[in-house]
Amino acid sequence: MNFLAFFFIVASLLSFVVAQLVLKRAMQLSVTSGLRNLRFISLVGGGIALMTISFFLTLGLLQRFPLSYLYPFQGLSVIIISLMAAVMLKEKLTLQLTIGALLISAGIVLVSLS
Amino acid sequence: MQDRPSGFGNPWLQLALSVLCVLVSELLLKRGANDIANPSSAWSWTGINGLASPLVWLGIAFVIASFLSWLYVLKYIPLTIAFPLSRVVDILVPLGCWIVLRESISTLRWCGIALVVIGLALVAKPIAQIEERL
Repeated sequence: MNFLAFFFIVASLLSFVVAQLVLKRAMQLSVTSGLRNLRFISLVGGGIALMTISFFLTLGLLQRFPLSYLYPFQGLSVIIISLMAAVMLKEKLTLQLTIGALLISAGIVLVSLS
Repeated sequence: MQDRPSGFGNPWLQLALSVLCVLVSELLLKRGANDIANPSSAWSWTGINGLASPLVWLGIAFVIASFLSWLYVLKYIPLTIAFPLSRVVDILVPLGCWIVLRESISTLRWCGIALVVIGLALVAKPIAQIEERL
């Protein structure tokens, strides 16, 4: 794997993770302050923009590598998002949820390695 | 967590729909990306040339559908639970190939599938308790 490929894999993973956190925050906000306020709209807009970036970067990577090569990185997103949701969004992350997320991540890596 | 609507508005049903749309879109996008692959072009790193494939456009339609139901899911379910569950799609693809296309699955891959299933069970267990309380 060359540097360029590594850079684009990290960029697509990072934009995906941040997008999920931003979107969750937006939907949390919508419960208390409704859909018609500037913060909600800008958060959803930002989330969609990040998802779009991640989508096209992944499409670019898919043209170069088999799906099975890219999948382990998607697997990592499970544990990263769980940890970030606990830290940034103050969601309750129990030991059981952490172990579950770790097993899912590890399982996805194994599925794509074989 | 607040009261959840039932029927079509049930967030768990929407989560399942979202996963299903992701599954279909992944297959469409991989086929589409293969069709128009042109690694010699620097622009293709951005994936933008993928728009030349009709399969990619169909895939995008499924991505948007999954996105809408996902937003709905996020309104009701914490990310620490909803996101790990949404990755059930990662074992549905190989299982689909095994059941529908009769492709063989290696031992290592079966181990991976087993790990994901155990992980999903661990994540899903607190939900059963939450639902009981409602």
